[in-house]
Amino acid sequence: MSQTAAQRFLQDAALKSADLVHREIIQRGMDSYDSAHLKGRARIKDWEAARQKCQEIKREAVNHLDRYLLQFEEKVISRGGHVFWAANAEEACTYVKNLATRLGVRTVVKSKSMVTEEIHLSPALEKAGIKVWETDLGEFIVQLRDEPPYHIVTPAMHLNRGQIAKLFREKLDPGIESDDPVDLMAAARRILRQAFFAAEMGISGANFLVADAGVVAISTNEGNGRLCTSVPRIHVVVTGIEKIIPRLEDLAVLWPVLATSGTGQGITTYSTLIGGPRQPGEVDGPEEFHVVLVDNGRSQLLADAEQREVLHCIRCGACLNICPVFRHVGGHTYGTTYPGPIGSVLTPHLAGIKEFKHLSYASSLCGACSSVCPVKIDLAHHLLQNRRNATAARATKSSERLMFRAWRYAMLHPRMYALGGWSMRKALRMIYSLGLAGSILDPMRVWNRHRSPVPLPSESFRARWRKSRGAN
Amino acid sequence: MPHQMLVPRKVSLFVPCFVDQLLPEVAVDTVKVLRRVGYAVEFPEDQTCCGQPAFNTGYWNEARPCAEHFVRVFKHAEAVVCPSGSCVTMVRTFYPELLAASPLREDAIAVASRTFELSEFLVKVAAVTQVGATFPHSVTYHASCHGLRELHLRDEPLQLLRQVDGLKLIEMVRSEECCGFGGTFAAKFPDISAAMGDSKAESVAASGAEFVTATDPSCLLHLQGILSKRHAPTRTIYLASILAQQSLAQEKP
Amino acid sequence: MVPEPAAAGSDRVIVGPTINEPVIFEPVVDPLERFQQECVGNLMECALAADSAASAQQLSKVLQSLPEGETFVQDDPLLRLLIDLAAPERPIRWSSQGAPGEASQATVTLAEALIAQTGSILVTASCGGRGASVIAPCHIVYATLAQLVPDLATALSRVSQQRKLDRNSFACVISGSSRTADIEKILVQGAHGPRRLVVILQTGT
Repeated sequence: MSQTAAQRFLQDAALKSADLVHREIIQRGMDSYDSAHLKGRARIKDWEAARQKCQEIKREAVNHLDRYLLQFEEKVISRGGHVFWAANAEEACTYVKNLATRLGVRTVVKSKSMVTEEIHLSPALEKAGIKVWETDLGEFIVQLRDEPPYHIVTPAMHLNRGQIAKLFREKLDPGIESDDPVDLMAAARRILRQAFFAAEMGISGANFLVADAGVVAISTNEGNGRLCTSVPRIHVVVTGIEKIIPRLEDLAVLWPVLATSGTGQGITTYSTLIGGPRQPGEVDGPEEFHVVLVDNGRSQLLADAEQREVLHCIRCGACLNICPVFRHVGGHTYGTTYPGPIGSVLTPHLAGIKEFKHLSYASSLCGACSSVCPVKIDLAHHLLQNRRNATAARATKSSERLMFRAWRYAMLHPRMYALGGWSMRKALRMIYSLGLAGSILDPMRVWNRHRSPVPLPSESFRARWRKSRGAN
Repeated sequence: MPHQMLVPRKVSLFVPCFVDQLLPEVAVDTVKVLRRVGYAVEFPEDQTCCGQPAFNTGYWNEARPCAEHFVRVFKHAEAVVCPSGSCVTMVRTFYPELLAASPLREDAIAVASRTFELSEFLVKVAAVTQVGATFPHSVTYHASCHGLRELHLRDEPLQLLRQVDGLKLIEMVRSEECCGFGGTFAAKFPDISAAMGDSKAESVAASGAEFVTATDPSCLLHLQGILSKRHAPTRTIYLASILAQQSLAQEKP
Repeated sequence: MVPEPAAAGSDRVIVGPTINEPVIFEPVVDPLERFQQECVGNLMECALAADSAASAQQLSKVLQSLPEGETFVQDDPLLRLLIDLAAPERPIRWSSQGAPGEASQATVTLAEALIAQTGSILVTASCGGRGASVIAPCHIVYATLAQLVPDLATALSRVSQQRKLDRNSFACVISGSSRTADIEKILVQGAHGPRRLVVILQTGT
């Protein structure tokens, strides 16, 4: 019998949260991010105003999505580019696969794109006999390990240099002796260089689609995105439809905010704008330029006025970094393309509420995510709404529904509530005095697994109050 | 939140259900402190729960009547004071949304505007930070999430603690990181909850303080369970329980 | 700001901006100083030169520090002049002869603008093509003080006003040498792009 996603999550979460080595690695990584992020924030005079502006830009874009996407498309086509509207993952993969086969593509170089993970593009291409090279160092590493990215910005943050060196020795070149990050990067650069120059097609994502200029904005620090989009003769952009923004000038605030929230930088090293294939008179550049606009459930979310703002996400990763749940279970435990708070909010909409609602419950609702989101998505509130939607869709356990109905009865009848409380304390005291704490008879056994038992006073506050008539 | 309202001399006490049943001293000490700064305290005995457990678990249809009951119970209160940031968050932040279609909507909004967590009531409404307390111990402060992020309590608890005679306030690393309780989260995802509590216990231990306090007794209940299981020396103590402590000279004869 | 009341007998009302947009970024007071500061933080080099002769000297210095190999140069009259002055003893490949390749040890290009706020250079396809700013291990930019703008907002609005992207399929705001922190979050310089980015900033003629 195969496991549900929820069962797998519980299992993986239990293992990972007890893994102190993992906890230490992630803690160190997050501490490093925290200090860089603080420095980055200090460069922005009015951070709240920046968040407000970014929220307004994305709100305008998402609320007029069709208009801005059409404006973008028109400009791209005028430069000789192609735009394909993919309703779902399958359509997107088929388009890219057919394009590659038609044009005799044998090798693809890819810069980081979470959407391509979402639609499982690489497996589709590889099944057609096309070799796909991830060129972002973190993605390159997890690709070699045959595992999904751990984090949407730093895909290999769960590994240390020793593990990466060993991986490179095994999979790339047994002659790699050093585990110094400088040498490891040099090795990756050497190998990927050949791929950049051999590949017929470069695939990138998009951080933003700029409507008025009709360009795709791609941000990388390594320059791999630059090479993917300069050297091969075909450039394909795979992007979610929600990445659109109205104006080029919007990047003046979005670029710094993305970089600050993502890595603590003032701006990402290569903030690139591409609007088409090589134009007449240009020295170099791809002969063909294709933009694949992926829907895959986004327009459904767009139609939901209450939760539409989830589409404002600029995929900076700040919510992952601050989330205490993420810090304890890690990115792989989620088992989804998008982990962390944004993943927990988004995945039930993109991939089904019944299968993935558990993610919306795997949160203490601390609200840290909402407080750091640079586009002011109230993620914690959306988690609550997802939970409400799950109950409304009757996707919750019937035993739980019954329990809350009984709870409601007690809470509307103060005497019943008082009696219920008294009985529970009495029962627990008896169970514990019989030495049965933690046994199957103990209703608090889940609590007692990791904590010493709760106090069990002989009198509730209201009993004391009534006795003393408020005199104490 | 209106601070320009007439300063009340009588407050109604709302006691969270788990405080009523498991931590009655939290409420007893809250009453002590309120009385000491000059307020009469009434306790409407028909109160039960603010509805948060059902609301947070997605059972809004079950939470709604519970919220309406709360509104009816406290409709005529001059001010409602509650020793729990998360319950106050439920009332102030979420009642307007939960009861948007209810006939009690207007009453709910009115009650919400007069409902306060203890430290914000003392500092912002009663305008006192010196409550005549003595507690000659080292204390570290955990910034409970709802109080911090929804009620924007950053300074108020610290202002009160700084005025306590003999109290040595020690800062904790990652004081704003969630302790991991989260209500039904602890029941549904016990391992994650325990791991988060474990990390918080580490931060507490690293501070070297004898006591750890917070504005939410639910955090402290969870933390105490973890600290005791680890045989850690630090003890949890709710904010009001610190403020209720007095030297022999301070106590009224 | 409150609209001024019309003067007696006049039909005109002077109206000013009524909404004060909050200032998100601290305005750049001294662009040159800021640009130089940012270059340091971005791990890129900024060499000031008083005139073309000095610029040529800077260029020579950089090229001499590099391993043997061809230099790719954007075919532009300004750069033809600069190369003439510098007279480097190494093969030059002009952009009119084709894109740079693995053989190029360095590329030399102009820029569209320099941006003080972030310590960036703005290049387009007109600046020697796409590969010119990313393929070789060293990218050298020859710019003048007149090209320095205070911030991103100014740079981007100029790109829009001048419709630069109608004539260019590519533009890039480059803010430093290529780097990565993907391994243990440790910063490593020189990932896939240039390890060195040098700006020769000519202040006079």
